[in-house]
Amino acid sequence: MRRLLITLVVVAALPLLAIALYQPAPAANVQEVLIGELLPLTGNFASLGQQYLWAGQTVEDIVNNDYPDLAVPLGPGKGFPGLGGAKMTLVVRDDQSRGDLARTLVEQLITVNKVHFINGEGTSGTTSIIQPVVEGYGIPMACHPCASPTLTEKGFKWFWRTGPNDKTMVASVFSFFREWREHGGPTDLKTIALLTCDNLFCQDNRKIAGELAPAAGFQVVLDLTTKTGATTLASEVQRLQAANPDVLFLVQYPPETAVFQGDAKRAGWMPKVLATSNGAYSDQTWLEAQKKTNGGVGFLGRDPTAIDLVQDRPSWKKVNDIYKKYSRGQNMGELAMREITGLLWMADTINRAKSVEPAAFAKAADETNMTPAQLIIDYKGVKFDKNHQNELATGVVTQIGWDGEKHTIWPWDLAKRANFKIIYPMPSWQERDSKPKPAS
Amino acid sequence: MTLLLQAIANGLLMGFLYALVAVGLTIIWGLMEMINFAHGEFLMLGMFGAWGLSVAFGLDPLVSILPVGLVMYGLGVLVYRLLMRRVQRGDPFTQIFATVGLLFLLQNSAVAAFTSDYQYLTNTLLTRLSGARLQILGINLGIPLLIGALLALVLFLALYLLIDRTEFGLALQATAEDREAAMLVGIRPQKMFAVAWGLGAALVAVAGCILANFFAIYPQVGFPFTVLAYAIVALGGFGSILGTLLAALVVGVVQSVTTVYLPPAFKDAFVFASYILIGLFRPQGLFGRF
Repeated sequence: MRRLLITLVVVAALPLLAIALYQPAPAANVQEVLIGELLPLTGNFASLGQQYLWAGQTVEDIVNNDYPDLAVPLGPGKGFPGLGGAKMTLVVRDDQSRGDLARTLVEQLITVNKVHFINGEGTSGTTSIIQPVVEGYGIPMACHPCASPTLTEKGFKWFWRTGPNDKTMVASVFSFFREWREHGGPTDLKTIALLTCDNLFCQDNRKIAGELAPAAGFQVVLDLTTKTGATTLASEVQRLQAANPDVLFLVQYPPETAVFQGDAKRAGWMPKVLATSNGAYSDQTWLEAQKKTNGGVGFLGRDPTAIDLVQDRPSWKKVNDIYKKYSRGQNMGELAMREITGLLWMADTINRAKSVEPAAFAKAADETNMTPAQLIIDYKGVKFDKNHQNELATGVVTQIGWDGEKHTIWPWDLAKRANFKIIYPMPSWQERDSKPKPAS
Repeated sequence: MTLLLQAIANGLLMGFLYALVAVGLTIIWGLMEMINFAHGEFLMLGMFGAWGLSVAFGLDPLVSILPVGLVMYGLGVLVYRLLMRRVQRGDPFTQIFATVGLLFLLQNSAVAAFTSDYQYLTNTLLTRLSGARLQILGINLGIPLLIGALLALVLFLALYLLIDRTEFGLALQATAEDREAAMLVGIRPQKMFAVAWGLGAALVAVAGCILANFFAIYPQVGFPFTVLAYAIVALGGFGSILGTLLAALVVGVVQSVTTVYLPPAFKDAFVFASYILIGLFRPQGLFGRF
């Protein structure tokens, strides 16, 4: 019995011992900066993971090769000048979209591969699982496309995020609704229904929308949470039809959004306004498919950038060309843009720190003050608050037009530049079928 | 009342689609009692097959049923010959691990070949009809789902006739029940099992061709359907083709009706609760023979 107890204590103490004995890689003579890239490359979130991998490969390419005309951090020149030209190397691991595996892999990346920085995991749920592990080892970490507010609100010392969180982005949608009335929009939008999936990302969105809706003048008439991977939403559509909300706030991944669209079409139902948040609305393949059916016309949603305006930036075009080398020709979507922006900030910070020591990185990160001119995205810059959340990350509201593209409709100054007439009410399914499709 | 009737109608139509998915498993697991956790991956391959033929040659998925079914029959036979035959006589856990390995192999091969992008079929006969509805007593019935249901019925009927009314079907059943006795009367069990795997793979791939009209196509699409298919076959009863069909309809209706009156979180809870109840009081399933 005593022997068993001793064995148990030793086994329990081993992880603590590993953390205590762990020594970060020595800073002197750094030949390469190792970035632990933990991503869901297979499993349920593989479509997200592959975009983040392409984004990582793009930044690795930008840092390690000379792009003299590219006006982004470390574009011109090879490697990290602050580290004597050291190369950036991604150490990629696939967690199969599983939190338990992610936890093991991140420990391996830190203790075996001796990476200097952890980037990942790309989804808020799994990131929240690995955060305490990385924090324990005192290694800098970031997840730029993760939008759950809780990731930074926990106040971790070693976690940073350059991208906006859901509070910022969902707030954008409700600010738009509030102000739309004063900008010639409809005044009779009174009720809203929420249809969201059941993971951390969707539920964060749901909670924030539920909190913001009354202040924007909406009564929540239905609040439905569905399983991720739902094979039918016909009954949910029936309930929506019965509740007949003016606005539907839909947060679903692409497969469930396709199921919803099919069921709504079969029921012949469409609300006056359909607002989304990330999920399918951020997925390039879903957006491209909508061009063949007009199925996404009128969907509006939050984006971290005015994607129709940002494409005019020369640096966006050049970065997109590099990205396409890895993405089999696919253009950067907003998720990839968020990730690339974040990774370029990371590279810039390591360069300014002139060291791979975590403390030096933290100091340089806290001193970050990037301007919009250095970014490929529409943030007002990069500067962190006390919780390491970029306080200059912004949200815009866009809407899919009859051309199948997203157009900025809020804030109003950007909307004016975009010069797009808001589609209201949502076109019926018959109208969508009868009009020409941009990609047919 | 209309709400309830509409929910039942929706559930029945979805039930037919579920039946389509479960039909292949009916043979492999329900009849031959072999475990196949890669069932959903055969479905996924069928969906990708339909998508690939549509993109490359403009074939409608309903036309692709034939080539995809034939190729998948071959794959099913191959999987049996190369993998399952070797683990067949071992512990059931060996079959589980072998087919879980196959699941990852097929799924990750699809990721490598097609990436994890979501693909959609948008210009097919059924998608063009996606807004068409039949209205009976105020209840809407989507025409594409009705066609899917009809195809499911035809497939089940064909399978039922094949298994229950032909010598080949009786030989399959005999092999499943007592391999040694079957051998004594001249049946070659290995051949029967290979054909069963071929048929199972082909049928679920045919289901994939039809489902490709309704769902996004991506490497992980099979899993939610696999879980439902297992519940349906077990609920319907081992060895009962028509039991599987009825169980699929029950699952569709239970999902649909509960969601109309309760939070959607209960949707699958009730399906699996009924599965547990049946397991407790009638372990052989609703219409099972053994």
